[in-house]
Amino acid sequence: MIPTLGHAAVLVGLAATIFAAAAFLLGARRGDAALALLGRRAMTTAFALALLACAAMVVSLLTHDFSVRYVARNNATTTPPFYSFISLWAALEGSILFWTLLASGWAALVLHRFRHRLPALMPWVGLVLAIGLAFFFAVMAWPGDPFVRTTPVGLEGNGPNALLQNHPFMGLHPPLLYLGYTGMAVPFAFGMAALITRRTDEAWLGIVRRWTLVPWIFLTAGIVAGAWWSYEVLGWGGYWAWDPVENAALLPWLTATAFIHSSMVAERRGTLRVWTHALVIATFVLTLVGTFLTRSGVVESVHSFTASAIGPWFAGAILVALVGSLGLLVWRLPELGDTRPPGQPVSREGAFLFNNVLFLGITFVVLFGTLYPMLREATSGERVSLGAPWFNGVNAPILVALLFLMGVGPALPWGGAAWRTMRDRFALPLVAAALTAGGSWLAGLREAAPLVAIAMAAFVVTIMGEEVVRGARARGRARGEAPPLAAWRLATRNRRRYGGYVVHLGIAVMAVAVAVSATLSSDVTATVSPGERVTIGAYTVTHERVVTERLAADPRVVETRAELTLAGPQSGPLAPALRDYPNSSTLIATPAVRTAAGEDLYVTLLAHDPASGEVTLHVFVNPLVVWIWIGGGIVALGAVFAAWPDRRRASASARVEAPAESPAVASARLATGGSPDA
Amino acid sequence: MTVARPIAVPVPPRRRWGLLLGVALVTGVIAWLALGGIGDALVYYQTPTELLARGEEAIGQQVRLGGLVQAGSLSGPATDLRFVVTDGTHEITVHSTSAPTSSFREGVGVVVEGRLSGDGTFEASRVLVKHDENYVAPSEGEVPSHIPDGG
Repeated sequence: MIPTLGHAAVLVGLAATIFAAAAFLLGARRGDAALALLGRRAMTTAFALALLACAAMVVSLLTHDFSVRYVARNNATTTPPFYSFISLWAALEGSILFWTLLASGWAALVLHRFRHRLPALMPWVGLVLAIGLAFFFAVMAWPGDPFVRTTPVGLEGNGPNALLQNHPFMGLHPPLLYLGYTGMAVPFAFGMAALITRRTDEAWLGIVRRWTLVPWIFLTAGIVAGAWWSYEVLGWGGYWAWDPVENAALLPWLTATAFIHSSMVAERRGTLRVWTHALVIATFVLTLVGTFLTRSGVVESVHSFTASAIGPWFAGAILVALVGSLGLLVWRLPELGDTRPPGQPVSREGAFLFNNVLFLGITFVVLFGTLYPMLREATSGERVSLGAPWFNGVNAPILVALLFLMGVGPALPWGGAAWRTMRDRFALPLVAAALTAGGSWLAGLREAAPLVAIAMAAFVVTIMGEEVVRGARARGRARGEAPPLAAWRLATRNRRRYGGYVVHLGIAVMAVAVAVSATLSSDVTATVSPGERVTIGAYTVTHERVVTERLAADPRVVETRAELTLAGPQSGPLAPALRDYPNSSTLIATPAVRTAAGEDLYVTLLAHDPASGEVTLHVFVNPLVVWIWIGGGIVALGAVFAAWPDRRRASASARVEAPAESPAVASARLATGGSPDA
Repeated sequence: MTVARPIAVPVPPRRRWGLLLGVALVTGVIAWLALGGIGDALVYYQTPTELLARGEEAIGQQVRLGGLVQAGSLSGPATDLRFVVTDGTHEITVHSTSAPTSSFREGVGVVVEGRLSGDGTFEASRVLVKHDENYVAPSEGEVPSHIPDGG
């Protein structure tokens, strides 16, 4: 009954989105606001239906309805409710269902927010969003049906994927990532609508930047949470392995970040407009490419789901999106104004341009590295892999250059800088960089990567500090405000600029943490009997005993725990474990991680001998890892600050846009009882 | 929204060239970084049959050897381990001094990174267990394979 309801919701959702697309198309062509309103309501209905379908799936999972194939494959009677719930997005069909829910949510939200604004543009935005959503509903209606039934109905299911039920982070990281992925459809829809209606002036840029920044925050948080999950769960002591699915999340993040920067140049100088459009297109297409890569089985990855029939569907969708959007862009090329590169190399816009070249450089490197093994196998039949050392080696210099630009960019004036200005602005930061790097060297740091990262971080932070102090002083003098108040007012009046500084601060923190943890971590592998100890650095890990028992939360799972005592700068009990899940042919490691500001102690149980009580332990000391997560949090906070609606600005734009409202929209609004500034 | 009007600043042609040259230079350096070292960075993935078919030439070259750990072939402690990797037709004895990951046991699929030595033993630098074949969903109409035995 409930799965049938879910399936029906999917089919009606498909009909609703097709209907919405038709209504938006006709409404846009005829300028008929009533049709556009109809389209918007159909999109809200589609969101409600996606919600209903998700609810049906969640109920089926929670009630262990094994007549549904997805439930039979990904759930068991003993699965705890939390993991039953998050199984909604833990495998292929469910993740597409969840994706559709989030995508329809973004679409309904943006259409609602703009219901009284931009009457000429919005039906086209709605059309693009409706077509995209119709594709996902169609995937669920045909190749990726989440509600397919099985007969005979088993008494027990297969249970969730062992790796994915091992840590509560699984409940956080995919939703964040998917919110980021799906949200990137909104700027794409605005970009397409702007090209179609020829409204490619600066107005759309402001909207698109905000609607890119919001999903960007989720994407950033999702990537960092994913790295954290990988660190806490996978037990190899690291957090980033250049796995195809990690790369798939990184690619749209890179192009979206490039867009956020280039849009400022496009807005300020009126150049780089084609480029900016192309970045919006690239970001959206890369979210589809990521889904295709990780959901179709074309690349091998720890995350790759089954090789399924949805591959060709996604390949087709990528082709249509790419050809359609690039075709439109080329068609409108003559109206997009000049495409000359802006100004001087040594200027704010020059820094932004190089920033974009570098971000695109990393994008190509990562895309190439991800696809190369696949292309090589297709052409020569040889199976090859490009390891993390290649990705690190190629990307590290580019990232250093980006850090450098992150410092100089905001301090350079638009148009070009005089020698005097540069000397005034960069003398102190350069000294700060030299002093911190020299100090670290004297303190015994000899690795190049962390020395460079520390110098760059000091450079960036000093420049931003100078900028804030200079601005706050000027404001304080002009208005007689105390410096802290002046700084806060200055920041809240220029959210984009100062939010951006906070983001840059977070990136600087992450850069240092990544460089230090990647080069200065140490590890030891040892086999020890009860009572014996392993020493690493200042730490001693004593093996007490091995305990094997069934998990209280899920009795099908047998856990073997090495109970250890840690002594040293951090101390206390540690219990790395191996878990034997009935549906997994391999044991799943559960590392024990002791986190502190300076360094983490990370222990994985590799093997144990039940007879002698001997265990083989892999012990890591990972410096500064916690600062990667803290840095990620600072980045997200800064971006939230930058994206936070500015009351002054919102009312100003409402005033500007109010006269643009057409009589038809006004009457439609009166008919529905809406108010203009809700 | 306060939108600054685009300011049309004429750019002297020489400076524009400087910028283009900078962009070309950066692009070139990135391409050189990416492609220059790719030959050394590539690791070939081969089965025992494929590796042995290459004969002498395979000795000393970094490869990833893929196959199953033969039942009954495991011997030695975790840090001085010997086992046989098979693809059903050919076998190679692997020697590993670094402990494999937790899930290593006889019969599992493994990817062993290392080099074939002159005496025919494969010296492993890393042993990876292929994760969870159950991740691949069963074919159409198949009932869940795992029915627990009352545990």
